[in-house]
Amino acid sequence: MAPSATSSPGIGIANLPNQRHKIVTQRGANFTLMVCGESGLGKTTFVNTLFTTGIKEHKNHVKRHSEQLDKTVKIEITKAELEEKLFKVQLTVIDTPGFGDYVNNRNNWDPIIEFLDDQHESFMRQEQQPTREGKIDMRVHACLYFIRPTGHTLSALDVEVMKRLGSRVNLIPVIAKADTLTPKDLAEFKQKVRDVIVAQNIHIYSCPIESEEESTTARNQDIMSAMPFAVIGSIDTVNTTDGRTVIGREYSWGVAEVENDEHCDFKKLRSLLIRTHMLDLISTTEETHYETYRQGQMETRKFGDPKVKNYDNPKFREEEDMLRKRFTDQVKSEENRFRQWEQQLIAERDRLNKDLETQHAQIKSLESDLESLYQQQNRGTIRR
Amino acid sequence: MAHRLGGRRKNVKKGFQFTFMVVGASGTGRTTFVNTLCDSGVLPKKISDNPEEAHNEAGIKIKPVSVELDEDGVRISLTIVDTPGFGDNIDNEKCFQEIVGYLESQYDDILAEENRIKRNPRFRDNRVHALLYFIAPTGHALREIDIELMRRLSPRVNVIPVIGRADSLTPQELRDFKRRIMEDIEHYNIPIYNFPYDPEEDDEDTVEENSELRTLLPFAIIGSDEEIVVNGRTVRGRQYPWGAVEVDNPKHSDFARLRSALLSSHLQDLKEITHDFLYENYRTEKLSRTINGGDQDGAALDADEMASQSVRLKEEQLRREEEKLRDIELKVQKEIQEKRQELLAKEEALRSLEARLAAAQLQDAA
Repeated sequence: MAPSATSSPGIGIANLPNQRHKIVTQRGANFTLMVCGESGLGKTTFVNTLFTTGIKEHKNHVKRHSEQLDKTVKIEITKAELEEKLFKVQLTVIDTPGFGDYVNNRNNWDPIIEFLDDQHESFMRQEQQPTREGKIDMRVHACLYFIRPTGHTLSALDVEVMKRLGSRVNLIPVIAKADTLTPKDLAEFKQKVRDVIVAQNIHIYSCPIESEEESTTARNQDIMSAMPFAVIGSIDTVNTTDGRTVIGREYSWGVAEVENDEHCDFKKLRSLLIRTHMLDLISTTEETHYETYRQGQMETRKFGDPKVKNYDNPKFREEEDMLRKRFTDQVKSEENRFRQWEQQLIAERDRLNKDLETQHAQIKSLESDLESLYQQQNRGTIRR
Repeated sequence: MAHRLGGRRKNVKKGFQFTFMVVGASGTGRTTFVNTLCDSGVLPKKISDNPEEAHNEAGIKIKPVSVELDEDGVRISLTIVDTPGFGDNIDNEKCFQEIVGYLESQYDDILAEENRIKRNPRFRDNRVHALLYFIAPTGHALREIDIELMRRLSPRVNVIPVIGRADSLTPQELRDFKRRIMEDIEHYNIPIYNFPYDPEEDDEDTVEENSELRTLLPFAIIGSDEEIVVNGRTVRGRQYPWGAVEVDNPKHSDFARLRSALLSSHLQDLKEITHDFLYENYRTEKLSRTINGGDQDGAALDADEMASQSVRLKEEQLRREEEKLRDIELKVQKEIQEKRQELLAKEEALRSLEARLAAAQLQDAA
């Protein structure tokens, strides 16, 4: 009997998205955002602007003289719970104070890279446990890298760090404090940054552009073409010269508005991070980046093995190398000395041996002389 | 400005020579500032390097450029030393040494010239009279690199801190930033050039002016070599979608005040301090080093010129010593000769006496 295509309302498969919607709404989302960049680029202000509340505290300057300058990069974690229309998001913001702030910033980025890998590692371990309930997942879903608005190009430090970040996390480059660049300077700068990103093979986040609806495609295109995003951060409400009340920065010569597309790309970035692509960011992290990490680790490690920890702090590594070199050099020079000494001894021995031989030869000849003399004598006596 | 110098009319006609150095990470507005100051494209804008080379760290380059300015009818022969590449590397330790080396080698030239027997009348004084350090407008406080640089260079040159690209700070932020910077400078004991005055010795105007300039430190600089139209006027400035910043407007930036302080009112003071104080200190340090410990430090500062100059100095000294010794030798020899002559003469006299005596005795005997 052939199955008949009924024109009834179907068996209800089409209701699955609604069920999903209910589940997601109840469960809420978990979003982890990392902000990375030199101090003073407006990272804290930006985070507060993005979520329109004071999530992060500004750096306390009063205590700066008494704090010790220990020249390392710290990882600062701030957690918050956001709620909008009964939908909750567990937000985690990771900051990296100290990055790029010192005279020598070599290997400054190690704590950051280690942190990213550790989150993947921790999730992997938790998955391998017998009970997998209640996993703590702090895998970073998006990393905003704040670029100094020099107007020239990316610095060597930027390139080094972005290369390493791009292969581990969704990297979104951001031009900080964009209100210091005129529109022309900004356009030139963006192009230069893009050129460097391409030339240096830095992998940045690109959201899927194609979509069923035209408007969505156009909007995605718009967002992606604005990368790197120029941002201005502020949580202050000010009045513009033409009477509007906006969120922005008030200068003596005008008001730079945060939510004005002609002033900066804040709205586009917000849309990317929250409104339209948050789930994409989360799923690419879980699927692509985590899988890459897991695959890399599983190829070299057995199930249940602890992670290979390299306890190398680069400064110590340098010292270690130096010491090792010195040690090998010393050993080499000692060996040389010994070898020379050995040579000398051998030469002595040879010489002495030769002397001995000559002596020996002399004795032999003397002996033979003596022999012949004896013989002569004997013959002589016999003759007589 | 002529009247300030009180009668140094000859100098006014001849013009002044002034050298200053600009130091700061790229993107802090150094080049634009210099071009704005001289009202012409003196320094070339940074040609962005090949994007494929962006991961390479270029070292620091030190480039002096000369330009002639006319300031209120006074000719100024200005030398500007730019330092592109400072602070742009991942590891910036070596940048300090290069700048200090450059400053000290200018002092060494003067030292060598002073000690020459025949001085060169056309000798160019290349000492740096002021150093403008461009602080990045973070809005927080001084960073480690800022503190290190100012601290290491203050013993050799007048350091004037400025905030580059100050148009990224609102008025309130700027006030707080300036305050925190000055607090840091005091906390770390960094001796910057702070328009010194003596309330007892100087006249009221000088005291007032200097204390006012002191409160403006560090100068908030906005530079532009483009002209824009604001309210019908054509001015130098930067045009943003939300407004226009004017370079010469004292409410927007301290550029005008810095320019007048640097090129007219305090030019002489900066030069005097460089010569009477900084150079003398360096000279004392260096000469006591050569007397006490030989040239160990000379080897550390890597400048071939330095080594050859000290060698030249030593040679001069040696030559002088040798001459002296030779003179002494000649004198001594002459004395010896004289004495010998005397001795010979005496001997003759004695002999003749003896002969006479012998003759006399013989006569007696006979």
